[in-house]
Amino acid sequence: MSLTDADLVARVLLDDDHHAFSELVRRHQSAVRGLLRNLTRADVALADDLAQETFLKAYKNIRSFRGEAKFSTWLYRIAYNSYREDARRRKELVGIDETQLEGEQDPQTVNPALRQDLMYALRLLPLHERTAVLLCCQHGLTHEEAARVLDIPLGTVKTNVLRGREKLKHSLAAWQNN
Amino acid sequence: MAAPLQDEDWLDAKLHDEMPYIDDDGFTSRVSQELPVRRRSPKMRSAFLLSVGVVAAVIAYIVAGGGSFVMDVLGWFAVMPLSVLYIITIGCGLLVTAVGVFFAVSRSRKVRS
Repeated sequence: MSLTDADLVARVLLDDDHHAFSELVRRHQSAVRGLLRNLTRADVALADDLAQETFLKAYKNIRSFRGEAKFSTWLYRIAYNSYREDARRRKELVGIDETQLEGEQDPQTVNPALRQDLMYALRLLPLHERTAVLLCCQHGLTHEEAARVLDIPLGTVKTNVLRGREKLKHSLAAWQNN
Repeated sequence: MAAPLQDEDWLDAKLHDEMPYIDDDGFTSRVSQELPVRRRSPKMRSAFLLSVGVVAAVIAYIVAGGGSFVMDVLGWFAVMPLSVLYIITIGCGLLVTAVGVFFAVSRSRKVRS
């Protein structure tokens, strides 16, 4: 019988169980690293560093997880905040903004035709629209959950998803016409 | 790109399909190695708090004149009207119950989450 995320979190809380936390990392590492790779525009090394930071922060602050949201939603929130903090630090250090943070191309995303087009179009979106589209359309979060992750009003999330989707459709339609 | 772009669900489905599973490749073990060890276990903390409490009680007892205050308070209660005693008793009972319920609820929430 496999334990639920809530069971594992309870073990970490009560017994400081490292094995239970490792199981949580194993379960969620792909989704968290995937989200961060898309946020960092496929800068694999940076995304993995941020993912590691995300899980360490989650471990240190696990007492603040109240179970009101899913554990994965809570992790996405930490991951997004870590990404924002890093982008701010980079902007302060070298004077570049988030839109200029182009990373090394992830070999996993290099694929012919539609997949490449989709990923390329996704990277052209502004951060707030890209994140909203990724969370809601790719990671399957509800608008309410995405609003909690991004700490913005529900209406703003809906607008960002709508705009992002429209831009993606437009970009892909243009590719189709070429 | 033969899929129809008019389909409202097409984009969502495509985005969902294009989320590849990322192999762990040692990531979990790297994170596990970095996990900090808590300085004091819950059992150690309980023992520490209990010891501090006992020491504080002994000091308070000595400072308060070896317990003479107990007799003072008993004398004070002896001359108090019965109705006031009832009110104080009920008030203390309610306070203790409220504190107990509060900690029980917060503890169960923590365990459930």
